[in-house]
Amino acid sequence: MFAYVVRRVLATIPVMAIVALFVFSLLYLAPGDPAAVIAGDQATPQDVERIRASLGLDRPYLVRFGSWVWDILHGDMGVSIFTNLPVTTMIQQRIEPTLSLMILTLILAVSIAVPMGVLAAWKQGTIIDRAVMAFAVLGFSVPVFVVGYLLAYVFALELDWLPVQGYTAFSNGFFPWLENLILPAIALGGVYIALIARITRATMLEVLGQDYIRTARAKGAGQGSILFLHALKNAAVPIVTVIGIGIALLIGGAVVTESVFAIPGLGRLTVDAILRRDYPVIQGVVLLFSFVYVLVNLLIDLVYTLFDPRIRY
Amino acid sequence: MIARRSLLAAGAALLAAPAFSQAQSRVLRFVPQADLGGLDPIAISSNVIRNHGYMVYDTLYGVDHQFRPHPQMAAGHLEEEDGRSVTITLREGLKFHDGERVRAEDCVVSLRRWMRRSPMGQVLAARTEELAALDDRRFRFRLKSRFPLLIDALAVPSNPQPFIMPARIAATDPFQQIRDPTGSGPFRFVTSEFRQGARAVWERNADYVPTQAGGSGLTAGPKVVHFDRVEWSIIPDAGTAAAALTAGEVDWFEQMPAEIQQLLGRNRTLLLEPIDPLPLPGQFRFNHRQPPFDNPAIRRAFLHAISQEDFMTAIVGPDPAKYVTGVGFFTPGSPYASDEALAPLQGPRSIERAKQALREAGYRGETIRLLGTTDIVSTTAQAQVAADLLRRLEVNADIVLTDWGTVAQRRMNRGPLEQGGWSCACFATSGMDFINPITHLQLRSDGESAAPGWPDLPAVERLRAEWLEAPDLAAQQAIARRIQAAAMEGLPYIPTGAYYSITAHRRTLVDRVKGFAIFWGIRRA
Repeated sequence: MFAYVVRRVLATIPVMAIVALFVFSLLYLAPGDPAAVIAGDQATPQDVERIRASLGLDRPYLVRFGSWVWDILHGDMGVSIFTNLPVTTMIQQRIEPTLSLMILTLILAVSIAVPMGVLAAWKQGTIIDRAVMAFAVLGFSVPVFVVGYLLAYVFALELDWLPVQGYTAFSNGFFPWLENLILPAIALGGVYIALIARITRATMLEVLGQDYIRTARAKGAGQGSILFLHALKNAAVPIVTVIGIGIALLIGGAVVTESVFAIPGLGRLTVDAILRRDYPVIQGVVLLFSFVYVLVNLLIDLVYTLFDPRIRY
Repeated sequence: MIARRSLLAAGAALLAAPAFSQAQSRVLRFVPQADLGGLDPIAISSNVIRNHGYMVYDTLYGVDHQFRPHPQMAAGHLEEEDGRSVTITLREGLKFHDGERVRAEDCVVSLRRWMRRSPMGQVLAARTEELAALDDRRFRFRLKSRFPLLIDALAVPSNPQPFIMPARIAATDPFQQIRDPTGSGPFRFVTSEFRQGARAVWERNADYVPTQAGGSGLTAGPKVVHFDRVEWSIIPDAGTAAAALTAGEVDWFEQMPAEIQQLLGRNRTLLLEPIDPLPLPGQFRFNHRQPPFDNPAIRRAFLHAISQEDFMTAIVGPDPAKYVTGVGFFTPGSPYASDEALAPLQGPRSIERAKQALREAGYRGETIRLLGTTDIVSTTAQAQVAADLLRRLEVNADIVLTDWGTVAQRRMNRGPLEQGGWSCACFATSGMDFINPITHLQLRSDGESAAPGWPDLPAVERLRAEWLEAPDLAAQQAIARRIQAAAMEGLPYIPTGAYYSITAHRRTLVDRVKGFAIFWGIRRA
């Protein structure tokens, strides 16, 4: 197992190298010029050229790529073209809100979706099953920003229960933190809940038809024990896989959710950086997201062994 | 229904009501039009950074609403040698936020940096033989010839402004950003609370001594601050910012699209009004280097069809109080605005006459590539009107709509369309940039050095130079009228009207200084 983990961690290095090359090349080829954005619409072409030179954007592709890789290898992600702040500092400032949002969404989604899926499978064909499936279709169909605006309108403006926007750091207290995040987490979690609930239902239906479930029933096991101990544990591998894949969905959804609820997270940092062509920031954030995604996949692989002892690495 | 938050608030209020409400009343919570994307108002041209600049830095002179200069950091100035030597003396007791005195040397180094980036500053630099500190409180311009606009230049409110910084900071290359926001203005920037893209905070500078000099309004007169803190919340989504204003989470929302204005206009606790008495002029700009707009007759053919009303209603909606038509090359309401030579833009619009003029001008079906944005309300709406106009004129139109980052780069392409070039584009600019012929860079028409579009109109350039020598306002206004006539002939761009930027804040906020987001003067009633 340890050797496997080490191998997988080492395997992330070429993956990250390919991601780095891909991101850098894509940004190099993409239209847009941060120097022109900095100069403003009143600038002369000479001003833009001077700014481009001062930012080093007039250097050849290979020189820029080499210099960036060299800095990354020394732990330096560069400095934002616009704010002059180190990219690592900007990421540090933004990582907590995004992590908080994703973790809360994950907890919320799993704790709602898995019981929903189990319930739907158990009550297959009943109104409960149909209600769960209808909710799943709705969750897939309604865009995150629509859910976000609706929630903000009802719970913040009309009922005045929760704030419209913003983020309070966890260090300022659990309840203020939760107060700011609960609506965004529900908005972001909609698609995720639908996805997990559907896969849980489908996998549970398959497992509930297995011989060993019939045996458990014959032995007089209770319904709860059959559903959660015998069936769910054996249905867990595909569910865990979907949860892992869904992390990418969450990262994408976080960009929209953070904009709607004005949460200063990495999603908004990415969008702002893309609009301004702040290359060092885009490169830094994409590298981080890629690393997180690779890491999540590794964790998912390791979690498999907890649910299925037959899996060995 | 009793809301949970109301209960919590009521409970908290019982415990700490006086202290809490007093503290809250001393904080102004503001939503800017965009993120504070940097801290250097000289290196980056941005109205949001300008607003930060006026909080943190001071200028030697400010302007009132008639754009007349008045002393701000300066105690006054003395002209000698028939105006070829101008000595400026600083007020007593000026201090930077780090406690250091403001010295004449700081002004000299700051002005040198500014002069390399500002259009007005570049004109001043070209006329300056020497700029040097005489002692701690006095510095002197030795000019090649008398320059009547020297003091106006030092008060200019157009980007970038001549802010005074400590010499150690102002020594930075003007194309590199400074990192230290130490100034001597009425606010200090709280670096430790700055979260780029989320929040920026300023505290009142307790050591700031407002000028006693006359003049008030805009950047002139005493800058009296009534809040201990100003907190900016960066809320990129206008709907969310409007909801935050409605819910009382913020006090002031700087700028919003028309549909949000309608929504907020129904709320009686809010006041919606133009942030600036000057509207923002729009432009339909031509690329003079490439066919077909290298032909002036083809440019002029568009005058028959351009409807300023169409362009402006697309931005702000049908309410005529929110826009101005009959707009020329200077911002309506500014000293040089006039109706000189604007007849071709007035009267009934005619697509048929424009088509005929295009044929007579020799248009042969060349591709016309319109460059437009999709992410800035004013330019996006104008680009859509322009695209419709090109279709109705039945020209060979290629409409390219993309984000501002791409447009900003692509408009720099001087090449032919096959190499990614462009033919025409729509822009909107702060009204303060178009208040005189020098700060108005879109009017500059010296070919390669002009703004993208690169108009080469010697008549306009001669008059711009002449304007600099005019002895008084009446003479300047007369020349400005001739500049407008020459521009209407050569058409660096066609003015598409001007619109007011609407701001919304609580009615309990009073005495706001009109112009832009200015944080002195404003107070809670």
